[in-house]
Amino acid sequence: MFELLNSHYNYFAVMLLLGIGLYMLIESRNLVKKVIGMNIFQTGIFLFFITLAFRTGGNPPIIKEGGGPYVSPLPHVLILTAIVVGVSLTAVALALIIRIYTEYGTLDEDKLKQLYYD
Amino acid sequence: MTLSLIEGLLLVFVLGCAIGAAVLRDVLASLMAFAAYSLGISIIWVMLEAPDVGLTEAAVGAGIMTILFILALANTVRPQENGLFESLSVRTVVLVGAFVVVMVATVPSLPPVGADGTVHPNPVVSGEVTQYYIDNAYADTEVKNAVTAVLAAYRGFDTLGEAVVVFSAGVAALTVLRQEVFA
Repeated sequence: MFELLNSHYNYFAVMLLLGIGLYMLIESRNLVKKVIGMNIFQTGIFLFFITLAFRTGGNPPIIKEGGGPYVSPLPHVLILTAIVVGVSLTAVALALIIRIYTEYGTLDEDKLKQLYYD
Repeated sequence: MTLSLIEGLLLVFVLGCAIGAAVLRDVLASLMAFAAYSLGISIIWVMLEAPDVGLTEAAVGAGIMTILFILALANTVRPQENGLFESLSVRTVVLVGAFVVVMVATVPSLPPVGADGTVHPNPVVSGEVTQYYIDNAYADTEVKNAVTAVLAAYRGFDTLGEAVVVFSAGVAALTVLRQEVFA
């Protein structure tokens, strides 16, 4: 078990981050905290991709004579795109939260449910 | 590769910040823990030889994201509640624990961190696609940074799609807020 932790450490961190993000998404009553949880879940997946691209002794993929070996550039590109999409997602979520607050005057999930059904 | 001290400390810091963001009751405190988390993880990207991702994460993840959250908090409410920490819900902890256990069960089948395909196979690092980009990126695009070459040339349509997403997000945010300009 310790050996596995020593060689696969980042993957354990990935799974724990996914768990923490999921916990926040389910359990946080405040909507803003739910969005923070969504972001933590996302970064967990990013860590998974970047770890797969990594190789021991690899250099950043900036090509020069005799500069290799390089880490894989493709996951980096995918994650760059995903970070920007994540920010867009957060921006829309926060705009919706501001609107919810102006309509209902609260961001508490339970109170919102009550107000909605009344 | 085996776990080095600095990587171990960084992972502990990042996980600690994430747990802090989850259990701190005050929204602003939770947000600050999340900002520290973003900064920590951008250092992890640099450790994993992904400087482009590290820069983007530090600027966008830790910078712009925190500003967006603070703006949202300034326009809504920061509930004043008693107690520093949220109480843990046993039911959710069990559910999430089960999820984590199932996910961790897949870890032994993944290549070790830093596998280069010689001892343990790592299809991402030693795959044909990676090799193609590294061999041809400079000849095809005359850009030395392979990440830029893939982002702007080989997968340029992806990046165009990304720009469309950002534009739609801007339009959606304005529509939801019933405004005509960002003020």
